[in-house]
Order: sequence, then structure tokens, then C-alpha cells
Amino acid sequence: MITEHEISRCEAAVLNMRRNILRLACQAGNSGAHISPALSIVEIMAVLYLKILKLNKSEPAWPLRDRFLLSKGHGSLGLYVALHEAGVISEEALNTFEVNGGFFPGQPSKNLSLGIEYSGGSLGLGLSYGVGIALAAKLNKENFMVYVLMGDGEVNEGTVMEGAMFAKHNKLSNLTAIIDRNNMQSDGLCDDILDIDMKALWEGFGWEVITCNGHDIRSVMEAFLQKSTTAPKVIIANTTKGKGVKFMENSKDWHHGRLTDELYRKAICALGDQ
Amino acid sequence: MTNLEKYTNAFVEALNVKASEVEDLAYQSISEWDSVGHMALMATLEEVFDIMLDTEDVLAFSSFKKGKEILTKYNVKF
Amino acid sequence: MKVERTSIRMLSILGQRGAFGYALTEKAKENDRIIALTADLCTTSGLDRFKSAYPERVVNVGIAEQNMIGIAAGMSTLGYIPFATTFANFACLRACEQMRHFMGYMQENIKIVGFGGGFAMGMFGITHYAIEDIAAIRSISNIVILSPSDCLETAKATIAALQFKGPVYLRLTGVMNHPIVYKEDYEFRIGKAILLKEGRDIAIIATGGMVHQSLQAMKYLEEQGASCKVVNMHTIKPIDKEAICDSLDSKLIVTVEEHSIVGGLGSSVAEVLSELKVKPPHLAIGVSSEYKRAGSYEFMLEQYALTADRIAIKILDKYKEIL
Repeated sequence: MITEHEISRCEAAVLNMRRNILRLACQAGNSGAHISPALSIVEIMAVLYLKILKLNKSEPAWPLRDRFLLSKGHGSLGLYVALHEAGVISEEALNTFEVNGGFFPGQPSKNLSLGIEYSGGSLGLGLSYGVGIALAAKLNKENFMVYVLMGDGEVNEGTVMEGAMFAKHNKLSNLTAIIDRNNMQSDGLCDDILDIDMKALWEGFGWEVITCNGHDIRSVMEAFLQKSTTAPKVIIANTTKGKGVKFMENSKDWHHGRLTDELYRKAICALGDQ
Repeated sequence: MTNLEKYTNAFVEALNVKASEVEDLAYQSISEWDSVGHMALMATLEEVFDIMLDTEDVLAFSSFKKGKEILTKYNVKF
Repeated sequence: MKVERTSIRMLSILGQRGAFGYALTEKAKENDRIIALTADLCTTSGLDRFKSAYPERVVNVGIAEQNMIGIAAGMSTLGYIPFATTFANFACLRACEQMRHFMGYMQENIKIVGFGGGFAMGMFGITHYAIEDIAAIRSISNIVILSPSDCLETAKATIAALQFKGPVYLRLTGVMNHPIVYKEDYEFRIGKAILLKEGRDIAIIATGGMVHQSLQAMKYLEEQGASCKVVNMHTIKPIDKEAICDSLDSKLIVTVEEHSIVGGLGSSVAEVLSELKVKPPHLAIGVSSEYKRAGSYEFMLEQYALTADRIAIKILDKYKEIL
């Protein structure tokens, strides 16, 4: 069930999360940050962390928690700001993003006390890990969900297919994959690099496929709430890379970039105009 | 003990079967005679007859009856 | 399992793969956290008894080794102890990054069992030989590497891997009817090499199936008047530095492995020796030439001069040279 209150709460959160992403990217200075891959997943992350995920803020490693794995590790800013928005990490902790030797590097390192389930960064590995957790949960008869967020470029990796086949064959209905379908990867449009019919691919592997507007809170919520019977579920979220900042949207340049003070101010204004 | 009695006993010990059941036994005809059971049987036969079986013979040893033929190569007469 | 002559012989006829499967099945009786994973090789991995006894604890991922390691890692987060099995070459090279990621970096409590180490796969050919696996995995932090010398040791190594809290790579070599090194029970400790025979002149440090070859080579060398020491280095990582340093007063240190001389046991020993001011010369015996055309296991060992007589000749030549 979806309430108006939940929708407006997420919509407010989403604006705050985008502001934080830009602020932290600017703070990161010369190291730069993966900005647009984080901006495209903000609604997905808000809905997960404010409505969907069964978590215990005061006990982040609670054994029966739902697991969220950011397989597309370069979306790290999206994860960190969501953890903060949900009260799992403090503002102080969040502000240590990309501090040398810190706990919030450019691509996340597993740290259960901080709510980080998986060490992302090498694309194509997270789904297998999520499959393993889901399989073990099923064996244990434990009732929690496993969510794995992947990029659409990430689906180029053969290991994603290995995980997909296994999950369907083993009826892992406690597993949901989300594809950040922004149709962009590092070198340009996905359709220009490896043209995949994303829906047909996952249907071919026997998954239950749901598509949604990745920037519409209600659409995202409905996608997550749709129940599957025995098959694992994949939500293909149609998104825009760099969403929220006009000059970053659909641009290759902001996959990873340095945000100077000037560009930061420009980005914040662009965000305000949305 | 005759060689046949020793041979039968090896099956009884290694595969946990009764002496009366051994005649028609073959590899994988019962759950105890799987790959591990087979090696336990080979090791027992080696011990009992003081011989060392070649790998080919270990692999060819497919039944109680066949085993008797194989053991004659090692001078075990029945 | 009671360690006695028949059981030792039974394990040796089974071969290392079967001995691993046997040990795992025995342990599974009292430990319900053990999971065996296979990449479509269940029937050939010594797991048939495990599978018939505990079918719900066998996970077959199909021909997908990389996926297998990720799944093993995920399962371990819920307290399972996964043993992921496949050919050593595919585990360590095909899924090298997964081993680095899930075992080295994330340090998940998973055990990879690579069978067919060295040339054991015979006529399956070069794609199935594992002669660079130790080199690849040794360079990754946090992974313990075990290389048992015979089948009793394989069973002990399996149990040690089970009890060890952390990632382990267990490398199995040889074929059925595996030569016996240990005729009676003994203590196996990860990281503690075992002195099989004392000697003054030549210290032979060997691993896996080459331990038996080295023991045979030693007999020939002793007939030639050289007193030989043989050390079973069953743990490649962490290497037993003390055992290496105990051999510094030998006239020659020899390492013997069914693996490239680049990056494996030989290199590991050389790394220890290189820091020392005074040390004897080191002869590294292993695979040091190009990929040769395939044949049976015995044929391949001959091709690469990894049989007892050829090992002895190489050692003797070097020994005479340095005297």
C-alpha cells in the first residue's frame, strides 16, 4: 500500500539527497567523484531506504534485515546519501566521503556497522553474491529480501547472466534485481556499444520483469511492491544519467568528474530549477 | 579360512552386507557400493590377500563375480 | 575415520579428489553448515557420496565458476561454510578476480578446492592443466594455500580448512592410486612444514605430489653419497620461513613443485632466501618450459622431468657443480 505521506516524504528526501551528492562531490576536490551515476538512482534509493527495506537503524547488522547490494559501486554517493537520509549513518560520517583511508571511499567497502553490505566497484560480481545470500536465506527458511542494484552497462558482463540463470532455476523469489536503465555507459550510449533488449533478455532468463519510471516515486514504489510468485524479479527502472542537473543529464562527461566551487554553484542552481 | 570365505568376508566388512547377499552384488547395485565403498572394498581385499591392485583392475572390478576373475591374476585361487 | 592401514590405503586408491570428498562427507555428519558447490562437476569431484547423503547441501551452479565463487561468498554471510570445487586452473585463472574480490578483499569464509593441480588431468589436455594457479593466488592477500602431499594429508587439509576461519585455496594433485607418504597418523597444522627426513648436504623442499617423487629421488641421491633432507611444505601460504631457515646450513636448497617455477613454491622460498646475507644456492625444479603436447599424467611428468629419477639427476648435477 502506498500513502500520499510516503510519496511526499520521498520526494522531499530526493531533493535533499541530490543536494548532498553535489556537496560531497565538490568536497572531494581533486579526487573527483562518480556524480551522474549517483544522480540517476536517487529515487530508487529513497524508496528502498525510506519505504521498502526492512532495517533496524540501531542494529545495522540485524540478521533478519533485508539486504541491499550496490553492485554498480560507482553509484556510491547514491548509497551513502540514502544511508544518511534513513538515519543509518550520521552527517559527520557522511562528510568523510573520499577522505583518504576513510570508510566511505569512491566505491563502497563492505562494513556492516555502517550499513554497507557489499564491496562494489568491479562490475558484474554483485548479483552472484546476492544470489548466494538469497539461496542461503531460503535454506535457512529466513524471511528477508535481497536487492541488487546494477547498471545497464554492467549487464554486459557474462557473470550477470550466470547469476540470472541460477536464480531463476532455483526459484529465488526473495531476490530482486534493479537495473538503472539510463542507457549510458562510460563510452557513450548503451545502444551504441552493446545494444541489448533489456526486457527480452531478462524475460528470456525466466525472471519476472517489471518496468517503471525510475524518477517517479509512485511508479518506483509500485514496482517494488509488485509481488512475484516463484521467479526472481527484475525492475528495469528507466532513468536519466545525471538526473536533476540539466548540464549533467545524458552527458558522458559527468560519469566521473571534478566539481569545482563554480560548477557546484551552477549545479545547485540547476537543481533548484527542477 | 578358504580364499572364498576370505573374499566374501571382505565384502561383508567393507560394504556392510550379509554373506548371503554377496553373490549378485555389482558396483552401484547397492548404495554402499559407491565410489567410496568401492575403494574401501579394494583396500580390504589388498589387506586380506596381501596384494596391491593396479588402477586398471580397481576400475575393472565391477562385481563379486568379476572380482574373482581379476584376483586370479594376483595368484588368488578360488 | 580411524587412521589405520586399510583406511590410508582406501584413501590412496580414491586419489586426492575422492579423499577430499570422503573427509567432507564425514565432517558433514556433525556439521550442518558445510555446503559443497560444484560447477557441473559433481560426478567427477569425489562428491557423489556427499550428494547422496546430503542432496540439499550440494549447490550446482552449472558451468559458471565465477558465479560459483560469488554464490559461495554470499552463502557464507549466513554462517554456511562453502567448499566450492572445480578444476584448479578454472578456479584460479578464470575466476581469479572473484577469488581476489571475495576472498582477498572481502575475506569471506569460503574454501576453494581446485582439483587437477599440475598435470593430473592427463589427456584432457593443456586447458585442464594447472601450472600457474599457485602463482596467481599467492599474490593475493589473505588467502591460505594448502597443497597436500598424499590422500591422508588431503583429508587432514580438508578438515583444517573447515576449521580455519578465513578463505582457503586447497590445491589437489595426482590421480587414483596416489602414492602414500604418510603410513600412520600424524599432526597436520596449517603453516607448519613437516620434516620427513633429516639430512646434511641437500635440503629438498617439495609440495603436493612432488613430495613422493622427492622421497624417491632422495634414495638415489643417498646412494651417490649425498645426505638429503626432505621437507613437506604442505602450506604454500603462509610459507614456513622457519623451516626454510632450518636448511641454511645445507650445501644446496632444492624446491620441487608440479607448477611453474615462476611464482609458486620455488619463488616463495627464493623470496625468503633473498633477504638473507648468507645462504646456500637454490635450485628450483618445476615447470620451466613451454606448453608441451598432451599425454597421460605419467607421460606429462616425464616430459617435464618431474619424475624421481630426473629430479635426482638434476639435483646431482647442480650439487656436483657447487661442490
